[in-house]
Amino acid sequence: MGGLVDAEVNGSDVLSALRLSQQAAAILGHGLAPNTHATSSKSSRDTAEEYSRIEQLFLACLQTGDDQSAQTCLDRLSNRFGPSNERVMGLRGLFQEATAKDQPALEKCLAEYETILSESPVNVPIMKRRVALLRSLQRPSDAIAALIQLLDAIPTDAEAWGELADLYQSQGLGAQAIFSLEEALLIAPNSWNIHARLGELLHVCSSSSEGDAARLAGKSVQHFCRSIELCDDYLRGFYGLALATSRVLDQKYAPESPSDPAIPSRKTIQQLQAFALQRLEHIIQSRSVDDQHWASSRSELIAAKELLNRFAPSK
Amino acid sequence: MAVVEQTILRDPALFYWILFPISVVMILTGILRHYATVLMNTPPKPASTLAESRERHALLRGVNLRNHACAVLDRESFEARKNYLVNGFRSGAFLKDPNNRGQPPANPMTDPAGMEAMMGMLKGNMMMMIPQTLIMSWINAFFSGFVILKLPFPLTIRFKSMLQSGVMTRDLDVQWVSSLSWYFLNLMGLQSVFGFILGSDNSANQMAQQMAQANPAAMMNPMQPGQDPDKLFLSEAENLEVMEHFCILDGVEERVLRNFAPEVI
Repeated sequence: MGGLVDAEVNGSDVLSALRLSQQAAAILGHGLAPNTHATSSKSSRDTAEEYSRIEQLFLACLQTGDDQSAQTCLDRLSNRFGPSNERVMGLRGLFQEATAKDQPALEKCLAEYETILSESPVNVPIMKRRVALLRSLQRPSDAIAALIQLLDAIPTDAEAWGELADLYQSQGLGAQAIFSLEEALLIAPNSWNIHARLGELLHVCSSSSEGDAARLAGKSVQHFCRSIELCDDYLRGFYGLALATSRVLDQKYAPESPSDPAIPSRKTIQQLQAFALQRLEHIIQSRSVDDQHWASSRSELIAAKELLNRFAPSK
Repeated sequence: MAVVEQTILRDPALFYWILFPISVVMILTGILRHYATVLMNTPPKPASTLAESRERHALLRGVNLRNHACAVLDRESFEARKNYLVNGFRSGAFLKDPNNRGQPPANPMTDPAGMEAMMGMLKGNMMMMIPQTLIMSWINAFFSGFVILKLPFPLTIRFKSMLQSGVMTRDLDVQWVSSLSWYFLNLMGLQSVFGFILGSDNSANQMAQQMAQANPAAMMNPMQPGQDPDKLFLSEAENLEVMEHFCILDGVEERVLRNFAPEVI
C-alpha cells in the first residue's frame, strides 16, 4: 500500500488521483478529527514530504469529490502553517471554488480574491486562483489581463506562461500563444513536454496562417525533433513528428535540394516520418492498453493506433 | 642515534576533567547555536508590491534569455526579445521607481528594508562570535597551559603551533596536544559530528554560512541591500548586446536521425 501512496499525482492523471483519494482515510489516520491525531504525529512526521503529500491528497480528494477528506487535509495544513500562509490561502480558495454550488458562489470567491489582493498585491497563489476562476467563469479576456499583470511582476514563472499560452490559443491568438510558450521554454529549456506542446501549437498555426505556413511547419518539426532528442520514448513527440512531417510533405514545403544547409531536404523529412511511424508502432506494441502502468495514457495510445491506421494504407 | 621518547607523567584525571569536558561543551554549543540560529533566523522578506517583484525578477529574465536562448529561439524571436530587454534595462522600465534613477543609492542605514537585511546578517555573525569568545575565554581561564593528550603518531615540527598553542615549551615533542589547541581542533573538526546529529544542512556549520554569504546569487532576491539595481540592469543589458546567437534547433532533424535511427538513413 505504501508504494501506491507514493505514486505521483499530476493534474490530468485521473486514475492515480482516484487511487490516491481512496486511501484518504488511511493516510489521514483512523480518526478524522485532526486534533487527536496531531499530537501523536507531530514529533515523528512533521516533515516537508508529509505536508506535500497531504497537499496532493487534498487535490486528489477534490478531483474525486471527497470533499470531507479534502476539508480534513486543508484543516491540517492550516493548523500547521497558519491560515494566513499564502499557499494555504490558495488551497482554501481552491476548496471554496470546488465546493461552490452555483454562479453567485463563484462570484463571491472572486470578490474575496479581490479583497485579499488589494491588501497584499503579491500573493502569487491567490493571483493564480483568480486567473483560473476568471477562466472558469467564461471571462477569458479578463483572465488574460490578470495573467499578464501577474507575469509583468513575475516574468520567471513557467507555469503561468504555459497557462497564458493555453488561454491565447483558446482565443485563437496563435502568434501570442507561441510567444508565451517560448518564454516558458526559456525558463525550462530541457522540458520535452513543452517542446512537444510548442510543436503542436506551431502545427495548428501552420494550418491556419497563410504566408508563414511553411516556416511554422518547419519549426514545428524542429521542436518535435528536439522533444524526442530530450526524451526518446515520448509518445506525443513521435505522434506530433509523424503529423508535422506529413504536413510538410503534403504541402511540399521541403525543397528537394535546399540552398541553405539549415533547411532539411525532402528526403530527410521522409526519413523522419518513417522513423516516427516505426517508433510509434514499437511504443504501441510495448505498452499494451491493458497494462496498469500505462493506464493513464490509454487515450494517447488509442490515438496513436488510430494515426498508424490512417498512415497504413498509404504505405 | 635512537630517538629518545619523551615521557610526561599525566594525571589520568586530565582526561576526565579537561579533554572530555571541552569536547562535550563544544558539541553542545554547536547544537545550541544551530537551534538559536533557526530561532532567530528571519526569512527574506517577499516583495510587497508588484513593481518591486518585477525589479527582482527582471534580471533573472535577462540571465535566462542569455543562457537558454540557444536551446529554444530562432534568430528572429531572439532579436525581438533581446531588443525588448535591452531597451527595458536601459530605460529603467523595470525599476521599482524609475524616477529615482541615477540618484545615489539610499543609505542602507536609513532604508528600512536594507536595515532588516543587515540585522539578519548581524544576528548570524553574533551567533558565531559570542559562543566562540565565551568558550575561548573559559578555556583560557581554566585550562590554559595543560598538556592533555599525546597523539599516537609522529608529526613534523610545523604542527607545533597548531597543536601546542598556549604552551610555551620549545623542546616539547609535537605529539603533545595542549588544551587550547584541542579547542581549536574541535572547532574545526566537529562539522561531520554536527552533520550526523543535526542533519546535513545545519546552521552549526560555519562553512555553510560563509558559503551562503559568498554566493548571493543563490538566494531568492538577487539584489543585496545597498546595491543599485540600475547598475545591474545596465551591465546585464551590455551582456545581452554582445551575445552571439546560435540555435541548436538548426539541423536537429539530421541529428535525431543520426543518433536514434541510423538504420533509416
